[in-house]
Amino acid sequence: MEATKAVRAVPITNGLSELIRYRHLLVSLAWRDVRVRYKQSLLGIAWAVLLPLSMMLIFTFVFTRAIDAAKVLDVNMPYALYAYTGLVPWTFFSMSLSGCVNSLVANRNLVTKVYFPREVFPLASIAGSAVDFAIAMTMLAVLAAYFHCFSDWSFRPRATLLFLPVVVLVQVVLTTGLGMLLAMANLFYRDVRQVLSAVVQLWMFVSAVVVPVPRDGSWLARIIAINPMVPLIDAYRDCVVHGRLPGPAGFFYTTVVALVLLVGGWSCFRRASYRFAECI
Amino acid sequence: MAEAVVQFANVSKRFRLGEPHDSLRDVLWSGLARLAGRRSQGHERSVFWALRDVDFVVPRGEALGIIGPNGAGKSTALKLLAGILRPDRGTISVHGRLAALIEVGAGFHGDLTGRENIFLNGTILGMSRPEIRDKLDAIVTFAGLERFLDTPVKRYSSGMYARLGFSIASHVDPDILLVDEVLSVGDAMFRLRCLERMHQLVRDGATLVFVTHCLEQMQSICRRAIVLEGGAVSFEGPARDAVGHYLQAMSRAYITRPPDLPPAAGGDDGDVDSLRLRFLDGAGEEVLWVRAREPLRAELTFRLKRPVDRLVIELNLRSSPDDQLLSLNSGRAGRFLAARAGTHTVELSLAGLPLRGGQYFWNVRLWDADQGTAAADTPFCYPLVVDDEGLATGALALEHEWSFGKRTSAAHEYAAPVAAAPRGGRPVAHPTTR
Repeated sequence: MEATKAVRAVPITNGLSELIRYRHLLVSLAWRDVRVRYKQSLLGIAWAVLLPLSMMLIFTFVFTRAIDAAKVLDVNMPYALYAYTGLVPWTFFSMSLSGCVNSLVANRNLVTKVYFPREVFPLASIAGSAVDFAIAMTMLAVLAAYFHCFSDWSFRPRATLLFLPVVVLVQVVLTTGLGMLLAMANLFYRDVRQVLSAVVQLWMFVSAVVVPVPRDGSWLARIIAINPMVPLIDAYRDCVVHGRLPGPAGFFYTTVVALVLLVGGWSCFRRASYRFAECI
Repeated sequence: MAEAVVQFANVSKRFRLGEPHDSLRDVLWSGLARLAGRRSQGHERSVFWALRDVDFVVPRGEALGIIGPNGAGKSTALKLLAGILRPDRGTISVHGRLAALIEVGAGFHGDLTGRENIFLNGTILGMSRPEIRDKLDAIVTFAGLERFLDTPVKRYSSGMYARLGFSIASHVDPDILLVDEVLSVGDAMFRLRCLERMHQLVRDGATLVFVTHCLEQMQSICRRAIVLEGGAVSFEGPARDAVGHYLQAMSRAYITRPPDLPPAAGGDDGDVDSLRLRFLDGAGEEVLWVRAREPLRAELTFRLKRPVDRLVIELNLRSSPDDQLLSLNSGRAGRFLAARAGTHTVELSLAGLPLRGGQYFWNVRLWDADQGTAAADTPFCYPLVVDDEGLATGALALEHEWSFGKRTSAAHEYAAPVAAAPRGGRPVAHPTTR
C-alpha cells in the first residue's frame, strides 16, 4: 500500500479501490445508522414498514375518501397500491438524501480526527436507508396479495420482477451522485440542508409518487419530463405491478442522468475532500 | 539506514485565519458587493503558515518523537501524516498500514453497546470485521469490561470509556502508529498501560511517530526526535539532545515577554505596587533557562506602599496547577525583613534545582507576619525552564553516586560486566528505561 498525498485530484478509479479497502467501515457505519435509528424504540425496525404504510393510508384517505379524485387519478390499480409503490422508493430516496446532506457535518469529529475516504459517509447513509427500503419492499407482496384477494383487481407476479435490481441500482447511482454533492455543499454552506427539505417536499408531487404527473405534452408536462425520478418511480410499478419492462426512452434518460451525476458528483467530492477537515 | 516508511519533503501547510463564509447569504452579499465594484471588507483574511518546509524521514521500525511549544505545528504535522489534511506544498509519502491515535474512542456512539462500538471503532481505525472478531476477547480483557460488554456506552463512566477506546486502538497492528497526546487522558494506571503497550509495539517492529508534551515519555520510547518551533524543524537528532534543545526553545519563547508582566498582585488596595522576579545564573546574567545542577539566584524587587515591621518572603514552585513542588518561606528559616516603605531587593540562592527537565512556574507571596495578612500574592506566572541534561527519568534529578565492588557478600549479586563498569569521573550515573 502506498499513498502519495500531494496530487491535487485523485482519480475516481483510485477512489474505488480505496473504498473497497474500507468496505468494512462502510458496513459498520451503515449498521450504526440503522441501529441508532431504532434503539430505545418499542417497535424498532417495524418503523421501516410503518412509515410508508401510514403515509399510504393518509394519501389513500385524502384522495379516495376526503376528495373523490378516483376518476382524475387514472392509475390502473387500487390507489393504495399505487401510493405504496410510489412511497417506498421515494422514502428510500428522500431518506438517503437527508442522511447524506448531514453525513459529513454530523460526523465532524471523525472528519477532523481520523482519515478514511470521505465518500464512506454519504454511502453509509444510503446503505442504512437501503435496509429500511428492503424491509418496506417485502411488505409490498403482502399488500398485492391483499388486493388480489379482496378486490376485483388481480395480480400475478411476472418475470419482469427480475428487472427490479436494475431499477434499484439506477436509483442508488442517482442518489449517490446527488448525495455526494449535497453532503459536500452542506459542509461549506449549512443552508443546503434547509433548502433540501423544502425541495424534496415539492419534488415528491412532481415525481408520480402519490399523484400521476401530466403527460399530455403541455408546458407543465414538458417541464416535468426533465425530472429523472418520474421514469424511475414508473419503472418500479412497471416491473412489480404491471409485469412489463419500463419504457425504454424514459428509463434510459434516467440512467444517463444518474451516471452523469455519479461521475460529476464523485469527482467534485474527491477534489474538495482534502479541504473538508479545515472547512467543516 | 533502513528503508524510509514515512517521508516529509518540504512540506508546508497554511490555514486561513478568521471565519470563512458560513452561510449562503454572506456569499451572495459579498458577490453583490463585488459586482457593484466595491471591495468586500473583512474578508481579506490573513494566512497563517502552520508548517514551513518541514523535512524529515522515519525509517522502518524507528520511534520518532515530535516535540515543541504549543502552536508549533505538531498536531498539524500528524494530521498531514494521517491524510486528514493535505499539504499546500511539498510531498508526503507513507508506506504501510497506518493507524492514527489522535483521539481515543473516535466515533463511539453512546446508544450502541460496548461490543457494537468495538466493531465500529475498530473499523474506523482500519481493522476488518473478521480481524476484530478474532481480537474481541483480547480487547475486552485488556479493557477489563467483560461484564459491561452489552451495555450501551452512554452508561459507561468516563474511565471505562477511555479504557475501551485505548484497548481497541492498541489492538490495531499497524505498520505505522501515530500517537498524539492520547496518554494525557485517563488515570495513572491507564497511562502506564498505554506506555507499556507502545513500548511493545515498537519492540514488535512498528514504526512510531509520537507527538507529546511529556518529555519523559517521549525519551523513554523514542531514540530520535525533532523539535518544531514556529512551524519549522529547529532540531533533529537524538531524543535526549532534542529535549535540551526544546527546553531552550521554550525559554526563548518566554524571554520575549516582559518578566515583570504581572505588577503587584494583591489587588488595588494591596501593600505592594510593583514586583519583579528575575533569575540569575552564576555569572549574574538574567536567565529563564537553567541547568538542574548549576547554582541559581532568584532576585526579587518590590516596592512597599507602607512600612512593615516583620515581612516574610515566600517563593513557591509548581509544574502544573495541582502540583506544588517547593515552598521556600523566609519566616520558617527565621528571617524577617524590617521593611520601610519603598523599594526593596531580596536575593535567594539555590545550589541547584534538582528537577526533571521541563517548564516550571514560580509565584511570590509577601506576608506581614504581625498581622498575618498577605501583602502581595502573585499568580504562578514566573516561568523557569530546567534542563536536567538527561539526568532524570523520574520526577527528580538528584545528585547521587554509586559504589561498586567495595564489599562482596554474594558472587551473583555483582555480575561481571557491571562490576567492570568505570566508576568515578562523573559522579552521576543515570538509570534509563531505554
